[in-house]
Amino acid sequence: MKTLTVAFVTVAALLGVVFIVVILSMRNQVRDAVVSNLESTQRLFAAVETRRQQDVRSRAETLADNPTLKAALDTYQSEVQDDATASRADLLETIDLVLENVAARVDSDAIVLVDLHHIALGAAGPMANRWPRSRPVSLVANRTAAGPSGADSFDGVARMGDNLFRVVTVPLLLGDTLIGGLYVATSLDQDYAQELDQLARTRIAIVSDGLVVATTLSPRAALQFESAVAVTQPVDGVIPLDGESHAFRRLVAVGNTVFYALGSVDESSRQAMRDAMRNLALIGMFGISLAGVGSFWLAQTLSDPIKRLSTSLATMAASHDVSSRLPLTGSSLELDTLTETFNALMASVGEAEAETQAAYTGAIRALATALDARDPYTAGHSDRVSVLAVAICRQLNLPAGEIEVVRLGALLHDIGKIGVPDDVLRKPGALSAAEFDIIKQHPTVGARMLRSVPFLSPHIPIVELHHERPDGGGYPNGLRGDDIPLGARIVHVADAYDAMTSARAYRNARPPAEALQELWRCAGTGFHAEIVAALANALPGVTSEPPQGGASRG
Amino acid sequence: MLVLAVSAPNGQTDLAAGRVTGRVKLTTKIPGKPLPSTAYPRRTIGDHHPSALPEIRNVVVYIKDALHKGPLPTSRNELLQEHETFIPRTLAITRGSVVSFPNGDPFFHNVFSLSRAGNFNLGRYQRGQTREREFTKAGIVKVYCDIHSHMSATILVFDHPYFTIPDLEGAFELPALPTGEYTIVGWHERVGERSMRIRVEAERPTSVELVVPVPVGDEYE
Repeated sequence: MKTLTVAFVTVAALLGVVFIVVILSMRNQVRDAVVSNLESTQRLFAAVETRRQQDVRSRAETLADNPTLKAALDTYQSEVQDDATASRADLLETIDLVLENVAARVDSDAIVLVDLHHIALGAAGPMANRWPRSRPVSLVANRTAAGPSGADSFDGVARMGDNLFRVVTVPLLLGDTLIGGLYVATSLDQDYAQELDQLARTRIAIVSDGLVVATTLSPRAALQFESAVAVTQPVDGVIPLDGESHAFRRLVAVGNTVFYALGSVDESSRQAMRDAMRNLALIGMFGISLAGVGSFWLAQTLSDPIKRLSTSLATMAASHDVSSRLPLTGSSLELDTLTETFNALMASVGEAEAETQAAYTGAIRALATALDARDPYTAGHSDRVSVLAVAICRQLNLPAGEIEVVRLGALLHDIGKIGVPDDVLRKPGALSAAEFDIIKQHPTVGARMLRSVPFLSPHIPIVELHHERPDGGGYPNGLRGDDIPLGARIVHVADAYDAMTSARAYRNARPPAEALQELWRCAGTGFHAEIVAALANALPGVTSEPPQGGASRG
Repeated sequence: MLVLAVSAPNGQTDLAAGRVTGRVKLTTKIPGKPLPSTAYPRRTIGDHHPSALPEIRNVVVYIKDALHKGPLPTSRNELLQEHETFIPRTLAITRGSVVSFPNGDPFFHNVFSLSRAGNFNLGRYQRGQTREREFTKAGIVKVYCDIHSHMSATILVFDHPYFTIPDLEGAFELPALPTGEYTIVGWHERVGERSMRIRVEAERPTSVELVVPVPVGDEYE
């Protein structure tokens, strides 16, 4: 879980940094991209537009090279001073017919015939009605584009009523003589702006005489653009429109009319940002799931085995168990090496511990032996009690661990007698009450001694309680029956038996059978019957039946 | 070619008549506001065959307000189509005269007119053939070729004989006119009428200098 969290936080931090870097660099990049896009749009537009104008012109020229049209125009002008209106009406009708023909072959909003004084004589096409007859046309053209290649010198813009037209002019020549002109007019209206917008894939604004005449911008943005740009008509720049940063560039200027291409930097960066965010989210999800898988794998191969190991260690530490070995996890070489090293360490610790214990045990045993030796009559007593107790344990089928506890406990059971003065201990006669009180303190003293050595604590009950009796008449606590621990019961019986079968200063040793007899006699009161029975079974060659009714007590 | 068939009133007649002589001067000044000229090569093919006649021969001098009584002399005239041009470009005739239009080019030509004074179409015909037409109404008749859109010519039809085309130096002399005040006109197809008032007297010839601002050749561009 922790591994997962760490992985997640790492991925999140990484993504955060990437995100910030992306945000910072993207806006500039997007802005540059928008500007360069506008530049290429401008170049493309200029090329396409020049080509288109040439196409329109060349087509219109072909169509204008019409004998009937020229004849009608020329004849009309030759008769302009006459007042024969009927004839002129015929000529104008002829002109209109020819123009209709031309209009059907040229893609434009209006085909207009003008005389030498730029007065419209006829028009055809969808927007012909904007070009009334006899109305002078004021054509604002680029005078700057000079030279034979300056195709733009013919391009002009004419305002007819509410409509602004882009005009391609085709001269009408009769031999060497200019007799008039044919205008191919394209209305600069919303439709035109829309068309340019779709071609260029940018917003379009057509500005004329300080006003936006057609645009694909929103009305608000158009107004702002108008007030910011329309008068000065800069070549390019960046301005905020309707809360968004827009780059703009002049596509083409004809007279007082300018075509602008605009691109919203914010809109483009939003798009780019969305893409980037989606990619980042994908990367993030991938990273997190990778981290999840990775941490799961880590948990499988490292964390869990380590946890198992530490649990085992904790158990071992709590139980002071240095002998058992940690199992190999097999999850990773390092971990197994660690485990093995630890096991080796524990083994050596165990050995050291065993040596220490042996040393302690040896010392205490030496003490016990020395204690026994204070009185020649009790020499070897502790060893013998220990052997007897172990024999009893075996009869009772106790586990090896408990037998070991009993064995050492039996060896040390009289250690407390170290505090009993020699004259009391070796007194040949009966003891006085006060002397006996001193004797009775030896279990308590022994227990206190053992408490100072931690690994001897299992033996304390044996040492402390090996003089308790089932009938509660024992010392030091007067415990009864089952309250007395098993080890203490066993040592009590073994102690009594050895005491009876050993010689004392004041009496001879009793034979084993007799001693056993005595034990049986006190079974249930002084001794636990089942322990006495176990002792009886354990003594080889000593056959002593329990007295009648004696065994039933226990 | 114009054949002047007027009664030469050199001697005294019943009516008092006077001679009108003069000179036409062409200038290149262009009045008005022309269209921007083309930067593209012209699509016509007749450029390298300019009219055989100098520009002065395209000017017609006539009395605008002359009255003529009695039968009008007529003539036969020819307007040749050669090198994709009409030769001459300008013709002046009396009402009732006949003009023939022979085709001198090795391809088809056509002659048609939309003018009020002579609305006609002679159809297409090949080299060596000719068509002719009598002009019965006075006025300006512009003729064109329906095949070659750059070809044009003008026929001025008068209901009086008081007109002429200047010689190469621009000098002209009108047939003798009854005395009185007149408006004399120098006409050119690109310029229209340039007129002035004159007084015709029996005693001495009236001398007139007419200035017609005709653009000449490439100077127009």
